[in-house]
Amino acid sequence: MAGTELEILKGITLEIKSGESVAIVGASGSGKSTLLGLLAGLDEASAGTVVIGDTNLGELDEDGRALFRGRHVGFVFQSFQLLPALTALENVMLPLELQGHARAREQADNFLQRVGLGPRTGHYPRQLSGGEQQRVAIARAFASHPSILFADEPTGNLDTRTGATIIDLLFELNREEGTTLVLVTHDAQLADRCQRRICLEAGQLVVE
Amino acid sequence: MSVTAGKMLARDWRGGELGVLLLALILAVGVVSGISAFATRLQNALTQESHRFLAADLVVRSGREIPPDWLQRAGEQGVASAVTLVFPSMLYANDDSMQLVSVKAVSDGYPLRGALTFSEEPFGAVLPAQGGPGRGQVWLESRLFALLDVAIGDKVAIGEAEFTVAAAARTEPDQAATFGGYGPRVLMHYADIPATGVVQPGSRVEYRQLYAAPPDILESFRQWLQPQLEDGQRLLDVNEGQPGIGNALQRAERFLLLAGSLGVVLAGVAIALAARRFSERHNDYVAIMKSLGATSARVNRLYGGSLLMLGAVATAIGCLLGWGIQAVFFSLFGDQLPVQPGPSGIRPYAIGAATSLTCLLCFAWPPLRRLALASPLRVLRRDTPLENRRTLGDYALGLLAISLLMWGYSRDWQLTLAVLAGLAVTVALGLVLALTLLRGGRLVGMRAGSIWRLALAGLQRRGTSNAMQVVIFAMAIMLLLVLVLVRTSLIDDWQTQLPEGTPNHFMINIGPGDVQPVDQMLRAQDIKSEPLYPMIRGRIMAVRGEALPASDDREEGRRQRESNFTWSDTLPEGNRLFAGQWWAPGTDEALVSVEREFAERLGIEVGDTVGFLVGSEPLEARVANLRELDWQSMRPNFFLIFPPRLLADYPATFMTSFYLAPQDKGFLNRFIRQFPTVTVIEMDVVVEQIRTIVQQVSAAIELVLAVILAAGSLVLVAGVQASVDARMHESAILRALGARRSLVLGGLFIEFAALGLFAGLLATVAAELSVYMLQEWVMDMRYTLSPRIWPLGIGAGMLLIGGLGVFSCRRVVSSPPVALLREL
Repeated sequence: MAGTELEILKGITLEIKSGESVAIVGASGSGKSTLLGLLAGLDEASAGTVVIGDTNLGELDEDGRALFRGRHVGFVFQSFQLLPALTALENVMLPLELQGHARAREQADNFLQRVGLGPRTGHYPRQLSGGEQQRVAIARAFASHPSILFADEPTGNLDTRTGATIIDLLFELNREEGTTLVLVTHDAQLADRCQRRICLEAGQLVVE
Repeated sequence: MSVTAGKMLARDWRGGELGVLLLALILAVGVVSGISAFATRLQNALTQESHRFLAADLVVRSGREIPPDWLQRAGEQGVASAVTLVFPSMLYANDDSMQLVSVKAVSDGYPLRGALTFSEEPFGAVLPAQGGPGRGQVWLESRLFALLDVAIGDKVAIGEAEFTVAAAARTEPDQAATFGGYGPRVLMHYADIPATGVVQPGSRVEYRQLYAAPPDILESFRQWLQPQLEDGQRLLDVNEGQPGIGNALQRAERFLLLAGSLGVVLAGVAIALAARRFSERHNDYVAIMKSLGATSARVNRLYGGSLLMLGAVATAIGCLLGWGIQAVFFSLFGDQLPVQPGPSGIRPYAIGAATSLTCLLCFAWPPLRRLALASPLRVLRRDTPLENRRTLGDYALGLLAISLLMWGYSRDWQLTLAVLAGLAVTVALGLVLALTLLRGGRLVGMRAGSIWRLALAGLQRRGTSNAMQVVIFAMAIMLLLVLVLVRTSLIDDWQTQLPEGTPNHFMINIGPGDVQPVDQMLRAQDIKSEPLYPMIRGRIMAVRGEALPASDDREEGRRQRESNFTWSDTLPEGNRLFAGQWWAPGTDEALVSVEREFAERLGIEVGDTVGFLVGSEPLEARVANLRELDWQSMRPNFFLIFPPRLLADYPATFMTSFYLAPQDKGFLNRFIRQFPTVTVIEMDVVVEQIRTIVQQVSAAIELVLAVILAAGSLVLVAGVQASVDARMHESAILRALGARRSLVLGGLFIEFAALGLFAGLLATVAAELSVYMLQEWVMDMRYTLSPRIWPLGIGAGMLLIGGLGVFSCRRVVSSPPVALLREL
């Protein structure tokens, strides 16, 4: 449909409090990932604003948003998104190093211990199982002490049991670190564990 | 930090495209530095060689005595010097016998460059001499011993002075330049001249002052010398025509420069392809890094740093490779060179490093630079559009870099243009043809069996990227064909020029009465000789009724010239008609056939009337045709040929050339005793030298060809690799759906082979064009169509690319489809 603009999200007004955990749920194509991308500053909104803390993401350019993400945002993805060229430890160190963190190695090591991967820090992603890779990703997300953590279907690529342990780990760390958590999921069980649930339908918020 | 560029490089090695990138860079640097080191050293040797033919670096020549204080001035400036004097004289021996000879008197220090040779008996073993004859001594040319019936130690006289025969004179470095033609050579000391009393003002003599010094000192001396020169004093330097070997080596050098340029182009293409694939594969990584807070500048620094590090490693290894290439060259034929090649210096390696930097900047960096633009959104949605499409700017930059590299490297715009024209034709024709053919493929494919349908559908689906791929394959094949063609014709050319049994002796001054007996004696000895050509000394005076200037000071250009005329009713063997018609045998017309370059210098065209002076009689003739001939063929060659009837009444001597095997040299002694007035010029050492060098240069050329072939294969590999991902993905799906191995592999083979077929076809057409331009403009050779390479180009294109394609995708049938689909 050349020339016709496709409106993916419309009329969404949403406030998430610091320390709150929120699940965004909805059918495939309802705009969940798009909303997550916008909230996390991975994408630019064609209209409207996203404000995190006192920063209006719309006023930053891509590099500005990158710096902001590095300082304040953590991610956990459905497909883990580890760099295959780096070991587990190096993957966790990456965001710390990008910020010029002085004790990156120590801190990364510490977080890998906390997710239960202490003995496997030197392994490459391809040597780890899906669950282990997601643990690395979680360690990476928390290692830089983000104020807000975005998770996109964190259990989507895992079996039920592994998924459950990952969820436990995620919420445990979240509680310990006092991080704001925004996650996108199909999983009703996972959504139930969040303090609030936001339902999207065809790009619009549906009040529950 | 540990996530450094180096770390990333080390880990990315596994990806494969880094390997191609590194190899391509190493090859580019190696080929460029190796060949230019080789060329520099060869050039070095050639310069020394031409100095040798002057016996000095700089020479003043005059018919009158040259002021001796110039020598003093030279000494003060640190320039070495020597003097020579050549004059005709009678040599007396045994009271009653005498012979007209060409005397060359040389001072101490002669020759300043190259070496004199002598032998202890006539035609004996050739030995290098430390200097010329001492005071009171002479060296006689071998045949004089027989002519005058003298031996080493006997007394001979020149004018009023008596000399002891000390040795047989064999060769002088500046022999060709001072060959007088008065008779056999006699060497004596310069200081003995006054005692002979034969050199009087007005004698027909040639004085030379020889100078030699390092280039900067020589240059400042030349600055001083130039204004001192008067009429009749001429300055000669190394640019005075280079003899036989020079020509073969220069062509070889040109070939090597061509090969080097092509190597750079090929490596450049391979680098660009590998870098592009590398960047495509890294989009996801960059997206992750950006999501974790990396800025564009950061990403640029990371990849720029990796590239620089890669470049540094490749440059170091490449320079080593280059050093190795030239070392192999010189170990192959360094010994055969008449002079030792000097060191190449570091310049070739600097050129190599500059090439590496240019390749990185212009071929590898553009796709990598765009990595920084990758959207971080790719971490959420893999279908986020990529920013690394090549733009017109990238192609323009690549083209500019290729042209600059080629030109900077060969310093020859004709060579550059010829190759660029071939490339342009490949690209233009390629895109049109590829798109058309690929579109046509679908119609045929619809009715074909399923394996064909699969392949042709694949071709059709990726139409544009396939067309690009055809162009890239065609470029690589074209460049390789060009090189193979030029090399083949070059080597053929040399081998037909100096085959086994090439004449290695000339015989001149054969009187008309001696023609029959000389011919009989040669036949009796079963000596292979060229026909006997009549030779008449004459002078060209006017063109189209306009008199030519007489000045002897101008070596080149339009002036009166002494030349040897001959007559013939047929076009002599080894001559080619360039313009006009050959005359009917027995014609009465006043016609003349002129050598093409000679005609160009004098502004002569077919149909012009040219005026000559033969003896003291004027002669006019109309130019019937222009001829081309090969001056290195060791056959008697003539600028001017007339119909026999026109010259029949003038006094002529005859000449020929013949082959004499080393063991038959004794024949010369018997021959000269029987025909004392005939002059024999020995060329056997030179011919043998040329033959050996040509053989070794041919070997060197084969070696370069092999290196360039490697560069070409790298392009093919990089080109195939570039499309492997997409094809693997499709094939994995087909496998998952239950397609047989043979169907998947067969489909892939047909698809790649079809690309290879188109590419081979294009390449062959473009190669013919490029070779035509190269041979006509650059190599100074005749172009002929080469039907042999057509099946080669097309067949090799099909099989090679088909095979490479299947090989690169082989994993698709050996790994479980699920693993592949997950990975891709």
